[in-house]
Amino acid sequence: MSQTIDFGIDLGTTNSVIAHAHDGKVEILRNPLSLKETLPSVVAYRKSRILVGEKAREFMERDPENVVGGFKRKMGTADRYFIRSLDQQVSPVDLSAQVLKELRSFVHGGIVPEAVVITIPASFDTIQSNATHEAGRAAGFDEVVLLQEPIAASLAFANRQEEYGRALGRGQWLVYDLGGGTFDVALVRIKDGEMRVLDHEGDNFLGGGDFDDLIVTKIIVPKLQATGKFEDLERQLKSAKGRHNGLYFKLLLLAEEAKIRLSSHDKADIEFEAADDEEEDQEFFFSILRSELEALLDPYIDQTISMIERILVRNNMESSELDYVLMVGGSTYIPRVRERVGAGLNIAINCDIDPTTAVGEGAAYYAATKPRRKKGISLEKKYEPLTESAAGLQIRMAYARTSKERTEYFTAKVEGELRGLQYRIVRTDGGFDSGLKDLLPRIEEDLPLMLDTYNVFKFTVIDQYGHIVREDLPEIGITQGKYSVSGQPLPADICIEIDDLETRRTKLEPIFKKNEILPLRRTITKQVMKTIRKGQDEQLVINVLEGSANLLPAVSLPIGFIIISGKDLERDVIKGSDVDVTVEISESRDLKISAVLLMTDQEFTNVFSSNERQVNLARLEAEIQQLLEQANDELMDARLKDDAQLIRRLDGIREELEALLTQIKGMAQDDVTDSRYQLDDRKRKLARELSETTQDQALENSKLQYFDYKRYSKYYIDKYGTVTEQQNFNRLLEQEREVLRVGSAARIDDLSDRLLSLSWDVRWRTLEFLSALFSQNFSQRLSEYPDQNRARSLITEGNSALARGDVFGLQSVIRRLYDMLPPERKGSFQFGTGIG
Amino acid sequence: MTTLQDMLFIINQVFEIEKKAVRLAEKNSIARNTQRLRDKFTELGYELFDPLGEAYSDTRTDCEASIAGDSLDNLRITDVIKPIIAQRSGATLMIVQKAVVVVEGS
Repeated sequence: MSQTIDFGIDLGTTNSVIAHAHDGKVEILRNPLSLKETLPSVVAYRKSRILVGEKAREFMERDPENVVGGFKRKMGTADRYFIRSLDQQVSPVDLSAQVLKELRSFVHGGIVPEAVVITIPASFDTIQSNATHEAGRAAGFDEVVLLQEPIAASLAFANRQEEYGRALGRGQWLVYDLGGGTFDVALVRIKDGEMRVLDHEGDNFLGGGDFDDLIVTKIIVPKLQATGKFEDLERQLKSAKGRHNGLYFKLLLLAEEAKIRLSSHDKADIEFEAADDEEEDQEFFFSILRSELEALLDPYIDQTISMIERILVRNNMESSELDYVLMVGGSTYIPRVRERVGAGLNIAINCDIDPTTAVGEGAAYYAATKPRRKKGISLEKKYEPLTESAAGLQIRMAYARTSKERTEYFTAKVEGELRGLQYRIVRTDGGFDSGLKDLLPRIEEDLPLMLDTYNVFKFTVIDQYGHIVREDLPEIGITQGKYSVSGQPLPADICIEIDDLETRRTKLEPIFKKNEILPLRRTITKQVMKTIRKGQDEQLVINVLEGSANLLPAVSLPIGFIIISGKDLERDVIKGSDVDVTVEISESRDLKISAVLLMTDQEFTNVFSSNERQVNLARLEAEIQQLLEQANDELMDARLKDDAQLIRRLDGIREELEALLTQIKGMAQDDVTDSRYQLDDRKRKLARELSETTQDQALENSKLQYFDYKRYSKYYIDKYGTVTEQQNFNRLLEQEREVLRVGSAARIDDLSDRLLSLSWDVRWRTLEFLSALFSQNFSQRLSEYPDQNRARSLITEGNSALARGDVFGLQSVIRRLYDMLPPERKGSFQFGTGIG
Repeated sequence: MTTLQDMLFIINQVFEIEKKAVRLAEKNSIARNTQRLRDKFTELGYELFDPLGEAYSDTRTDCEASIAGDSLDNLRITDVIKPIIAQRSGATLMIVQKAVVVVEGS
């Protein structure tokens, strides 16, 4: 256990922050639910739950009887807030304790902070300070140390200086803290190593939220009125009963975005739609200039300058006696605030620390120097007995593990000593938080589920001081949507047949994998691989097959297709343009294929019922031709190797394929007998036989090629790749073992392609690769270019780019030379489905 | 290098385009393009959810809401300024952008 306190909390009026000092550094801890570094200091008691932070703030204006914020201003007073849902009063101390407990839940890694430094405004008197101390104790901290906010901010700055090797010796400065809703300024002095607040001023109702409202009221509202018909608009926006009250909140969000953008740009665009009083939809688009915002803010900034001047007068000081103004609070990001304060006082502005978290950060730095009290004089450990009793709790949970609903009912029976205990259920993706609720013998929750995924909820039991006393409970895991037990799995892969440029045959690309659960829908985008002229007979074939993606297309069962002929087109479709193919399979296995040609914006759809087998004779003929071609290629290889057994088997297959082809050619396209189905069966058997006969060799070739490509890609990625590219490369290599284990040539080839594609981006920007590419493939083959004069001139240009090491110049030459090559040299592909 | 913030920016712009396209009288060709982008986002591990019209309660931490009107009964999401964006990691999703919404009761 650490000997120092280590944790610091900025318990702010509007927002709070917790920071942890460890290993010589300070970490600002994030809210695990919102991932933000700040927590709104707002507490809601809604129905039976306690909510702290963002959710509570959302309801603050609309449910003021149950939601409280700004209670820091009431610390140390006898004021109480009546909470209707509790039917009782709560004190500012109780509310502050809730915020502190929530902040403690940000601490991760199994650490339980028992001591903390909490910051207080410079203006807090002894009673207010004691109240803050009490809030810390009520939140379960057994040791609480208080620190003034301007000192904390100054410590954050001092530590930043030390990181740069500069130490603060003597001096005095102002801490100017303009936050979301409040403003404070303090005069701080350091003398003989001791830091002290000499004087301070403040305004509890001035901050960034007021600026957002100004933008809406003074800039956006006049634009609305100039465009649409709006009566009494400002009131209709701001009144809860106003007809445009919803619009007001949207405009506030847009105003805040614009304000942030104007901190780094000269103008910000605002764009939205709104219906006017006559229900006419109006579209608004306009820009706000930084100068417009500045004109609005100046009077408010001047108010803060006046407060500083009062401090200077009271302390008989000139601004020249100050070292700088240290800027703190989110609103000091606004450049105008910095400029005007600096110019108005003629003092240097210091923005070296993060204005949002500086106070919490400084508190943690201080905490790291404060030793923990010795054991024995520690305060009583109130929560320990509860921890022990909580360990004996029996909690039995019941819920459905799978669900098709958007919410699922959860219940649990709890036995044991429940007094003083609460529970909380949080969805681990950050989408649900039950808030803190009393632990009762029977608890119930409706848990909202994310669609089509495995939802995990964490159930924790917490004592009255905010300590988690049971987090060993099993996770609540609910699978939503398609993984429901009623879903049917696919018996085999469903694939689309595409052209394979490398082998000049076709191959299968999986759309859905075996065992995926129906219904399924997916859209993929493919390229048109040949130009189809309007009115001509050329075709694009979208062929959907059922069967392993690792085998040849001809082995698989065709289950549906779309044929798009030139005669169907409204205009030519050019090679390289895109086609969107959507495949849907219903739970009852009905198949729907649709294809959209992006160039013509035409959609083609075909619906197939699972009891209708589709065999297209022209397609069948083309497939047999392709098998025949493959059998001949393999036969040639077998003869070269003098493998008599293989030659005999391949010869037999070839003869049967030729007989099949003759038979098909003799059939009418509209043959109504079932011959086409018999022929299709025979073709599939032959294809399988061919595939099995040759697959060992294909697999071996693919493996050799893969290791070649891997070595080649690794060389470039190790030498020239960025960290991200190296990480992506390693991620691909992680798949190697599994892909090699499956033993599919197609999958190995696919992995090879992905490795090459990844390394291409790296290679393409290196002189080493471009030089080899240019020399070996482009500069030595002048005779292959149809326009040799132009090619010669480009080759000369390429050589001089190479000589001066000009990567971009060489890239440009290679691109232009490639464009000049005739199609056959580019590896064009004339036969196939026409998509790839 | 594309950061998460870059991805969120792109996805939010696509969401805006989808909203505008709904109001245009056209034969869904814009929707097809945006659907292609959505499919690509899914491939890259990002899912986009539009909670418009859904019920809202204080336990929904997937949205940052502004509550308009004076009723807290039957709260529904009436305007979505930014959608929910989640990133897939194995079998589970993690929300990387909460929706920014306007909520009204009835």
